[in-house]
Amino acid sequence: MAYFVSLFLLGLVLGLVAVASNPAPYFAALGLVVAAGAGCGVLVGHGGSFLSLVLFLIYLGGMLVVFAYSAALAAEPFPEAWGDRSVLGYVLVYVLGLLVIASWFWGGWYEGGWVVVDEFKELVILRGDTNGVAMMYSSGGGLLVLCAWVLLLTLFVVLELTRGLSRGALRAV
Amino acid sequence: MLKILIPTLMLFPTTWLVPSKQLWVTTTAQSLIIALASLSWLKWTSEAGWTSSNSLLATDPLSTPLLVLTCWLLPLMIIASQNHISPEPINRQRTYISLLISLQLFLILAFSATEIIMFYVMFEATLIPTLIIITRWGNQVERLNAGTYFLFYTLAGSLPLLVALLVIQTDTGTLSMLTLQYSRPPMDPSWSNTMWWAACLLAFLVKMPLYGMHLWLPKAHVEAPIAGSMVLAAVLLKLGGYGMMRIMFMLTPLTKELAYPFIILALWGIIMTGSICLRQTDLKSLIAYSSVSHMGLVAAGILIQTPWGFTGALILMIAHGLASSALFCLANTNYERTHSRTMLLARGLQMILPLMGTWWFLANLANLALPPLPNLMGELMIIVSTFNWSYWTLILTGLGTLITASYSLYMFLMTQRGPLPNHMIALEPSHTREHLLMTLHLAPLLLLILKPELITGWCF
Amino acid sequence: MNPYVLTIFLLSLGLGTTLTFASSHWLLAWMGLEINTLAIIPLMAQQHHPRAVEATTKYFLTQATAAAVILFATTLNAWSTGEWAIHQMSSPATITIIMLALSLKLGLAPTHFWLPEVLQGLNLTTGLILSTWQKLAPFALLLQISPALNSHLLITIGLLSTFVGGWGGLNQTQLRKILAYSSIAHLGWMVMIVKFAPSLTLLSLLIYILMTTTAFLTFKTLSSTTMNILATSWTKTPVITALAALALLSLGGLPPLTGFMPKWLILQELVKQQLPLLATLAALSALLSLYFYLRLCYAMALTSSPNTLTALLPWRLTQNTNPLLLSATSMFSLMLLPLTPTIMTLLTY
Repeated sequence: MAYFVSLFLLGLVLGLVAVASNPAPYFAALGLVVAAGAGCGVLVGHGGSFLSLVLFLIYLGGMLVVFAYSAALAAEPFPEAWGDRSVLGYVLVYVLGLLVIASWFWGGWYEGGWVVVDEFKELVILRGDTNGVAMMYSSGGGLLVLCAWVLLLTLFVVLELTRGLSRGALRAV
Repeated sequence: MLKILIPTLMLFPTTWLVPSKQLWVTTTAQSLIIALASLSWLKWTSEAGWTSSNSLLATDPLSTPLLVLTCWLLPLMIIASQNHISPEPINRQRTYISLLISLQLFLILAFSATEIIMFYVMFEATLIPTLIIITRWGNQVERLNAGTYFLFYTLAGSLPLLVALLVIQTDTGTLSMLTLQYSRPPMDPSWSNTMWWAACLLAFLVKMPLYGMHLWLPKAHVEAPIAGSMVLAAVLLKLGGYGMMRIMFMLTPLTKELAYPFIILALWGIIMTGSICLRQTDLKSLIAYSSVSHMGLVAAGILIQTPWGFTGALILMIAHGLASSALFCLANTNYERTHSRTMLLARGLQMILPLMGTWWFLANLANLALPPLPNLMGELMIIVSTFNWSYWTLILTGLGTLITASYSLYMFLMTQRGPLPNHMIALEPSHTREHLLMTLHLAPLLLLILKPELITGWCF
Repeated sequence: MNPYVLTIFLLSLGLGTTLTFASSHWLLAWMGLEINTLAIIPLMAQQHHPRAVEATTKYFLTQATAAAVILFATTLNAWSTGEWAIHQMSSPATITIIMLALSLKLGLAPTHFWLPEVLQGLNLTTGLILSTWQKLAPFALLLQISPALNSHLLITIGLLSTFVGGWGGLNQTQLRKILAYSSIAHLGWMVMIVKFAPSLTLLSLLIYILMTTTAFLTFKTLSSTTMNILATSWTKTPVITALAALALLSLGGLPPLTGFMPKWLILQELVKQQLPLLATLAALSALLSLYFYLRLCYAMALTSSPNTLTALLPWRLTQNTNPLLLSATSMFSLMLLPLTPTIMTLLTY
């Protein structure tokens, strides 16, 4: 298990580097998906299997479509992958930075420990994260309504900003 | 107090509601009635020093003469402005008169406030109407510059004063002039106290103005319309002297040592500004510098902190208020005829305006302090008290008196005597309005010869 | 914009601020801030003008950064202390980070650079919302965390803001930029005092909102965005022009007007806290701001610029805007000084 978690952590960091190094949009989207997936894996490693499942489904279902759509919108004839010179510079800088920081903190920082959702080692029926989700649905109703309103608002904001053929706010620039 | 304040407030509806034909007559009449009513303050019945008091306002022998002077000046300002404002649209005339009235309102509140913060707020409140009068109704482009100088000199001086007052209030718990002199512990000579001492005095010394901080005054005087110059010379400068006299109580015993440089600067300023007057070509600028010179004497008298010094300062302030305002009015009669302030262009006026020449003569004599006039009483008392402080000051004050006489003579000879230039022959004759204006200026000055104890302050 | 959509945006704008007001939990407060930002963004980009879009983008980036930093700091706080409540912040590091994030959100001095640029890109109505309503939510948070804040940090930010606000406005001829710098200076005064007397901060904010509303509404009535246009405005509405000059001097804080009240009380409080030197510096920094207000007054009311004959016509036409709000705020921003004790009583809690 520890190897898996290390692998996922590595994937998370590399995914972040892939996004941050400023490649063409749909390579960056790919990096984001990798980072998100790896993040879900890390969550599983610390016991939040239910939450990570929900998160992963959301990514698969919603965000991936959005990413695919927006990447197609912003399609370029000559996309820059991570091998290109300008992007490669960023990648190297970030990786170097990572190595420096990692060597700085090497040994001793992992012992602090992460908050583990479930303390139970044996097979039980109740899990901490499902409990939490159930709690949120039962007593956090107002917050959910608020979240729904925010989603609606965001939808309108996005529509309003991208409305219009050539004179939509974001395209006029 | 309300006997005067409410009629003053009622001047605003009068100004805005009277028919346009009677605007000037009505406002002059009402303000003159207020001025006459204010004379009742001079009847002194109180034994305790303060009288006609309510919870915020009161008068005492120090503030009463200045209050009466303020009330007296409003009808004079209205009369003086009549000629050059009445061609404007009616709403602007009304705005102008309203500004003058608001100035009187703020000045009354400032002189009669018993709380020093209230005095401070009203002291600052006079800035806005004066600024608008100078920059809106001045004539040249430089008026904006003059307005900026006026505002920023005064504010830069007085903001430290505000902080200093708040410090004093935090220390003693009160800023009431009635009780502060009993409750204030003496200031120890420490660095911070020295700073507060300077902050307390600097605002008023800038307003006076002390030589070295006087640059705003000639600009403001030269650019302001006649009413602005009048009120500036007659009352606004006196706010500085009045504030200094009020705040002196709290500054003992630091003043004894710290006042030296300021006294010297004030006396030196008399000489310097007098010398500047001697080579002025601009009539209003000359009168403005002569104001600086006289105010230097007043500042020295106050900083000496003796009863004679205070009395002399108050007498000189009142007398100089009337005399310099009269001189500005005379300069304005010239300006309205020749449209120039340059003395060279308006010479020999005695030939065509003989009665005006008489007024010039009287006002000049008042300015140079001829014996029976209150100007002389004031100057003499200040000179004596500075002489008592140090013999050597006599050189400065004596020389200052000589120079004052010389530039007054120079001004009189330049404008009145000599041959009449050819371009001046077709000037319009002097109006009754102008003669009335001069009478109203000089009559109080002459009458004060008979009863000078009205303006001697606490010591009579 | 569709009126229904506009309604949703305006409602959400209100919702975000009220949510932040009402919350005692950092997560909800953060949500309020984000809703607020989201709702104003389409209003800012309403014209689809490149400047407006640029301003919108800048505004979005700064606000999102600030909100993210707030979220980060509060999570850090919850991690180390297990406490999410707003008024129980105890860890000094997180509270400093939150203060810096809030100052970025408000546009206070070291992080003020976005404010003039953004305000310059908006129309006057949105600018009015930006410089009044949008300040409320961050200030609500600031007031709640103020007891735990470091006073040196607050004083540094405050004094720097008053000086930067005064200094930056000196060189401007664009009214919206001038108002942005004036906002920076005023917020500096409020932040300086927030630790010592939060009710005074509230009072200054209230008075500032009144005065700046007057300024924005006046400029909107005169439809002027530069000093040059303002200079020819005396033919349109003489009374508004005259009152606006006084309102600007009130923004500058000249004594008999309302603007003097917060400055006076703040100076008094600073002196009570044994900080007279700071009080003097702050007072003198107000002179810098006063200079550009004075310049606006000169341009607007105290000189009458030459005008074409057609420009003299508009005063004959009736205005179809409702003058109620403008006249009310003008009166408030000129004449509230005598009511100081009453207002202080209302705001002291």
